[in-house]
Amino acid sequence: MKLIDPTAAPVARTVHLAPRPADLRGLRLGLVENTKFNADTLLLKLAERLRDRHGLTVTHMARKRSASHEVDEAAIATLKGRSDVVISGIGD
Amino acid sequence: VASSADDPAALIEAYFERGWTDGLPVVPPTEASVAAMLAAARLTGDEVFGEIPGRNTVVVADKVAVNAVLAGCRPEYFPVVAAAVKGLCRPEFAYHGPASSTGGSAIVVIVNGPIAARLGIKSGNNLFGQGVRANATIGRAVRLTMMNVMQTQPGLFDRATLGNPGKYSFCFAENEEESPWEPLHVTRGGRREQSAVTVYASNSLYQIYNQLAATPEPLLRCFVDALVNLGVPNVKGFNQALLVFAGEHTEVLGKAGWSKREIAEYIVAHARRPLADFKRAARLPGEPTPADETTLRALFERPEDILIVSAGGRAGSWSACLPGWGNKWTQAVTTVVEETP
Repeated sequence: MKLIDPTAAPVARTVHLAPRPADLRGLRLGLVENTKFNADTLLLKLAERLRDRHGLTVTHMARKRSASHEVDEAAIATLKGRSDVVISGIGD
Repeated sequence: VASSADDPAALIEAYFERGWTDGLPVVPPTEASVAAMLAAARLTGDEVFGEIPGRNTVVVADKVAVNAVLAGCRPEYFPVVAAAVKGLCRPEFAYHGPASSTGGSAIVVIVNGPIAARLGIKSGNNLFGQGVRANATIGRAVRLTMMNVMQTQPGLFDRATLGNPGKYSFCFAENEEESPWEPLHVTRGGRREQSAVTVYASNSLYQIYNQLAATPEPLLRCFVDALVNLGVPNVKGFNQALLVFAGEHTEVLGKAGWSKREIAEYIVAHARRPLADFKRAARLPGEPTPADETTLRALFERPEDILIVSAGGRAGSWSACLPGWGNKWTQAVTTVVEETP
């Protein structure tokens, strides 16, 4: 007898990471708000600190359709056009 | 992977050791049993059931069949399992939310149409409970597929704070034979002679008791009260809910001539609560204003968001209420069971 593997691994996908800026000074900051209570408050507080410490300016805050959904393509396009760096990760 | 396990217990242990079970022993698959599963649904194994955005996950028939064997399904159950898994992959189900959430939803699998009786899927007494192979193993196969194929392992992409027992298995059929109403799949666009599976994410089940109500309104008030409690999973936007009426309550509603639509309209119209209540309980931000005391917040938007099923025992003044896991960004999905001629 033998074991039959019931699992399936995720399909491998090549992802190119955007080049990281060497210096944050004067860059435009985009935010992705996930619709949960206080997510926007937390992100704006974070942006405030980044502004004070590194001179970043918030230029756009995108709002996801829901916490469960990915950021849609239109929002990504807007973020790309208006920001140099984006904060997109926020949990419970 | 080769194994020396001619000893069935050792083989079962090998599946435990690899983290491929739900905590209960599984039926070790063989190439023959997987092939039989696929054959019962006239599948070859390479059919794609769907994809899960954000997880780079493609769900392919042969892996689902392996999990159906693990769960203890008979081959003839596989068309139901396949339909349920296809439903989970549909965009409107928005799988990532209910599958990953701290809310820990169970996937409720409701079977309608002729296949339910043919497979012996329980629709009567104790239908949410133990004891019937079809109910137990179909629901289990769906969960094992989620774990093993759809990257939904507890602690990884399943982040349930509490979870619930329905996460092991939650499958039942509507009691169409004794119901005064059109079956759920017909309400949701199917034909009566078709078989269909509805998948629905719910993180709780509570039983509603009422022995005295002889007319619909007092009975339905109990459901309304349950659905507007201050601890409901979601108060931002609108929800779905599943109501399961057992024999005595179905009779009260049916004798009064209430249709499923009228019941749903009643629930939508009455499941609302003053904004001030939600604010006092810190479910909504801010202090309650005088206007909030008389401003009602509706939990449901449309009668179509109330799923109604007649099922359960004929005796006993019980029914059940299963609020949706979250906002309507995730929605129940009904999929036709592709049966072999």
